[in-house]
Amino acid sequence: PQLPLRHRLAVTAAVTFTVAAGWLYLRRQKQQQHQQRHLRHLRSLSLGQGDFQLQDTSGTTRSKADFLGSWVLLYFGFTHCPDVCPEQLERLSRALELLEAQPGLPPVQPVFVTVDPQRDDVAALGRYLRDFHPRFLGLTGSPGQVREVAARFRVYVSAGPPDSDGDYVVDHSVITFLLDPDGMFRDCYGSARTAEEVARSVRGHMESYRPLSP
Amino acid sequence: AGGMAAPTMEERKACWGARDEFWQCLDSHGDDAAKCEKLRRAFESRCPQQWVKHFDKRRDFLKYKKKLETEGFHPYKAAGKS
Repeated sequence: PQLPLRHRLAVTAAVTFTVAAGWLYLRRQKQQQHQQRHLRHLRSLSLGQGDFQLQDTSGTTRSKADFLGSWVLLYFGFTHCPDVCPEQLERLSRALELLEAQPGLPPVQPVFVTVDPQRDDVAALGRYLRDFHPRFLGLTGSPGQVREVAARFRVYVSAGPPDSDGDYVVDHSVITFLLDPDGMFRDCYGSARTAEEVARSVRGHMESYRPLSP
Repeated sequence: AGGMAAPTMEERKACWGARDEFWQCLDSHGDDAAKCEKLRRAFESRCPQQWVKHFDKRRDFLKYKKKLETEGFHPYKAAGKS
């Protein structure tokens, strides 16, 4: 004799539930593997490796060691930028606010490195960054120093020809880099990512971060 | 560092506003720049020369992009013109 209807329904529900749970688990595993592969590939590019020497807006020399122990969101731009840089800095400021609103997350240090050291001296950077998140740190240096840091991050920089006023724009890659507390490159965000997406991604990295053993 | 200082936030917003007004005028006059002379002059006075050039190029790009999205890409059509 067959099982009563309600028993058959219960068995069907249990089987369906198990299959669904199994499928969701496998899908999550696949997503995580894909993300790990992506991050391994990014890390193999060794972006941002090596030290740098730049001046912050107080005139103090900063090197990579100064940022160890902190998560860093790093953006390359210039103060004479028509639209992209203010938009990106606005977005980063918003992402930082979103992260700060979440309890228990470590603070993130936002950093702006100029690709136009000829015009963007310490004073110019200080003025410019006043309009964005208060913790934004500006870095500048000699053309050689700046060129080296940009090269380490594979950031494209190309100053255009000056016009009759001596003004020019600097064409550059529009990317924000996420560095972990070991100074290692973790992820990068192009101009299309929203503040919410950046905040979510940074949080994800913070949660999966394991410090390098000494 | 020489030359003029970078535009402040207020100056940037004034420039973007003038640009947007000029572009809105162009949009409502089928890109006939002759109909928007006054706004063009306001735009040029509010923005650094380099930014005017940049935004002009940007508008061309946005229009081209829209054209591709609506009409599709026809490389052989362009070849017929030369």
